[in-house]
Amino acid sequence: MFKKILIANRGEIAVRIIRACRDMNISPVAVFSEVDASALHVRLADEAYAVGAAPSVESYLRIDRLLEAARLSGAEAIHPGYGFLAENAAFARAVMEAGLVFIGPTPEAMELMGSKTSARRVAADAGVAVVPGTTEPLQSYEEAREVAAGMSYPVMLKASAGGGGKGMRFVAGEDELLAAFETAQSEAAAAFGNSEVYLEKAVERPRHIEIQIFADQHGNCVHLGERECSIQRRHQKVIEECPSPMNDAALRERMGAAAVSVARAVDYTGAGTIEFLFSDATREFYFLEMNTRLQVEHPVTELVTGIDLVREQLMVASGHALSFKQEDVRWSGHAIECRVYAEDPENNFLPSPGQITRLRVPAGPGVRDDGGVDENTEVSIYYDPMISKLAAWGRTRREAIDRLRRALDEYSVGGIRTTLPFFREIVRDEEFIEGRLDTNFIPRFFERRAATAAATDATVSLTEEETQARDIAVIAAALDYALRQRASTAELSSRSQTEQSHWRLAGRAALQRRS
Amino acid sequence: MKLKAEIDGQSLTAQIKVDGARVFAEIDGRSYEIEARVSAPGVHVLALAGRIYECLVDADAARREAFEVHVGTRAFAVELRDEKRLPHGGLGASAQAGGTAQLVAPMPGKVVRVLVEQGAVVEAGDSIVVVEAMKMQNEMKAPRAGTVTMLHAQAGATVKAGEVLAVIE
Repeated sequence: MFKKILIANRGEIAVRIIRACRDMNISPVAVFSEVDASALHVRLADEAYAVGAAPSVESYLRIDRLLEAARLSGAEAIHPGYGFLAENAAFARAVMEAGLVFIGPTPEAMELMGSKTSARRVAADAGVAVVPGTTEPLQSYEEAREVAAGMSYPVMLKASAGGGGKGMRFVAGEDELLAAFETAQSEAAAAFGNSEVYLEKAVERPRHIEIQIFADQHGNCVHLGERECSIQRRHQKVIEECPSPMNDAALRERMGAAAVSVARAVDYTGAGTIEFLFSDATREFYFLEMNTRLQVEHPVTELVTGIDLVREQLMVASGHALSFKQEDVRWSGHAIECRVYAEDPENNFLPSPGQITRLRVPAGPGVRDDGGVDENTEVSIYYDPMISKLAAWGRTRREAIDRLRRALDEYSVGGIRTTLPFFREIVRDEEFIEGRLDTNFIPRFFERRAATAAATDATVSLTEEETQARDIAVIAAALDYALRQRASTAELSSRSQTEQSHWRLAGRAALQRRS
Repeated sequence: MKLKAEIDGQSLTAQIKVDGARVFAEIDGRSYEIEARVSAPGVHVLALAGRIYECLVDADAARREAFEVHVGTRAFAVELRDEKRLPHGGLGASAQAGGTAQLVAPMPGKVVRVLVEQGAVVEAGDSIVVVEAMKMQNEMKAPRAGTVTMLHAQAGATVKAGEVLAVIE
């Protein structure tokens, strides 16, 4: 086993990997940009190295500096986390050429699965159905227009190098295509350094279901069941659960087998995820893409299977066989995760960077929080706005929801806006509780919300409780205001006292000189 | 302490007397007798006849009379006016004046694209500029139909929250 590894990432995933290192008595080495010099992941590490300025292209994406940090620290392996260089084959190759272990799949597997277009070919060759669409990147807007017209709207524009919803646009009709094409290209270029985009037919009301797979260097390849990630906003997952509310063992077997055959086709090693679109109407599933890294939402799989995926990654990367076989994998209970973002749900989810003035993280039975911040952390404009992932486990989905609701209400973040209020509403939403999910859940949720607001007569007076809470808010603001007034007055008077005493001292000195 | 408070689009009159931990408040004629303690800066614990309210108060960095108050899981924007101390007219200042509307950057970020030219005629909801923050590109849309009379946004420029990107008349 490794004695020391470098974590080429920041935020919650760096903290998560440090925790696995501690469990295994491995010394964790952090890297940081200028604005992250005193970040949580740095303080939890044994060693930390500066890798450059705040923009990630000047720091967390600088392969040369990351390798230099690894050399200085004497780390034997590099864990890329997710995002940044996690799916960059050139990085994996550079790590290997430096004589270090890259904790992830081979660069060849990353290249085959990293391009969404070549991944679709691999899946199709492995006998797994893919969503109808182009397998080659689009050369021009004209080509996009022809292809889209050929497969009929609505269509999906996606970045070849994509992930996290960046460079992805839903296009309902041709009038939207040009703007969407340009935005998708420039977003893809900014996010991945590659502006290639391709087109897919949009499947109506699909569920987004993915299979976690794991493979070692000894020919073992298994699946750890599904995660349902249908609840997405702007193609970004916001709530994930394991198992899917459908909880269908036969379907899990079918999808698991398909995922394993895709992974085997590229001699995959380590943790990976195969994403599928699932049609409720036909019970068919289509290969979407493979993520050749640890996923953000891995905790829900961990909670239900009891397997520590990061620990397993480190074991497999150091040459050990998987610690379990397919028949050992048991799914117990239900887990749901919310991604807590520094975004303002009341203001169209605009980013809300700033300093976290107060933080209370929930705990208690069945609750797990994977955070990357603490009190006084400055949430920077330079990186992803996710500040933590809150997950709850219960024996049943209903029990998991009860615990998640309790934990969300307990969670308190001051100084910045977060998506917590949004999640508090979702866990109380009837459709969510019933598990009627598809990728249009959020737009429909907002429609329901608007309809409720419209049906509620604005002239109807508030309930007594609401009036009281509002009055209490005014009283609290007034008390705080009064305290601040007093504090600033006190500061003024103490300053004048200091000035006075300086004056007095100077006077005394002058008197002494005279005598 | 006598204040005017603006909350949820309503104006309330508040009269508050503090005696140690005891607070006597009258909000629009409703009387409250409260025990109030500060557990940490900005964290006020108010007890009203046994009912506990944990209130987190964040003062606006720019305007000391504007607050965001969390009462339990509920959030309120509160603006106070202390007739003794605060200048008049600070309440409810609007970005809109006459027939013009300003397109204001709602968060700090970088302008990646400007989609219209000065003098362009736009519809409400048309995209004017694209601002990138936290890796997401956000299309800033025209708040109303009209002519773009001023365009301050430049591709590549960094903008601060509250900065005027364009003016539409």
